Amino acid sequence: MALLAALGGAVGFAANALSPHPAVLGRAVLSAAEAGGGSCSMPAATSTSTALAPWKASRISVDEAKGLCTACLAGFVDARGAHEFAHGHIANAVHLPPAGHPDEAAAVTQLRTYPLVVVYDGEYTCAVADDVAMRLRRAGLTDVRVLQGAWPGWVAAQGPASAGICGVCGLPEVKP
Amino acid sequence: MTALAASAARLVLGALFFWASATKVPDMAAFAESVANYRVVPPALVPAAAAAVVGIEIVAGAALLANVWARAAAWVLAALLAVFTAGLTSALARGIDLACGCFGGNSPATGWTVLRDVLLLALAVLVAATARGRTSSRSPRAGAVPAG
Repeated sequence: MALLAALGGAVGFAANALSPHPAVLGRAVLSAAEAGGGSCSMPAATSTSTALAPWKASRISVDEAKGLCTACLAGFVDARGAHEFAHGHIANAVHLPPAGHPDEAAAVTQLRTYPLVVVYDGEYTCAVADDVAMRLRRAGLTDVRVLQGAWPGWVAAQGPASAGICGVCGLPEVKP
Repeated sequence: MTALAASAARLVLGALFFWASATKVPDMAAFAESVANYRVVPPALVPAAAAAVVGIEIVAGAALLANVWARAAAWVLAALLAVFTAGLTSALARGIDLACGCFGGNSPATGWTVLRDVLLLALAVLVAATARGRTSSRSPRAGAVPAG
């Protein structure tokens, strides 16, 4: 039994390595509740949040996302409309509205250079960001998360904006 | 239990778990999230646990289908099902709304999921009790000691 279980473990790691969407070994995977609950609500409102619907993307907190942005360790995707994007967005965020974008293939290629991609929209429900996150998952990106608190949460936390400190990330903006 | 029924039970269990693993491999990251949602595995170990579960399902399912180490495979799957059942029951008791992640889908876990796991656990124990040990279903040579 032990031999069979050990063999199974080895096969599992091999299968994971061959999977088009592997689980990243060594990276902690939080439950939906631990990663921000089932809503994109602001932290002050999380006490009323419910469990994450199973088809929703994993959440990432503003604090964690800010750290990744500053360290250039994550790509950011703005899923809001063109007007909102033009008015202000996370530094070097790629604009990918739900309806799609003519240069989306190029943008996805650029996003592949990051180990993690964070999608955000402007609503606390994060429904639009979830749709875009699922689209990116289908396009082959392995670790796509949705920003808890959305754009309002980022602004409230004074995260780097369009001319902010993430300008060295090297990911050009895709103009709407 | 007739030999035919025992073989059928073994093949059904093996095919079920082999299929279950096949549905998870294309999106291991999503399965890892399902595992994390049970909140019984430390977050840092979730990816490794998810990979191990899928691998054990592959190997044990294949072993049952091939009738090689079938008894050990059935016991391993029984242990896995016991863990699944305990995890599901614990999560539901804590009011955690989650997808079971059982067959690569997003169907929510309910009491029926627990019941299904219990029935599969019973099937696995049945197969373990009736399956041969180390070798295939060929008759052992005269004088050979059946492996247990």
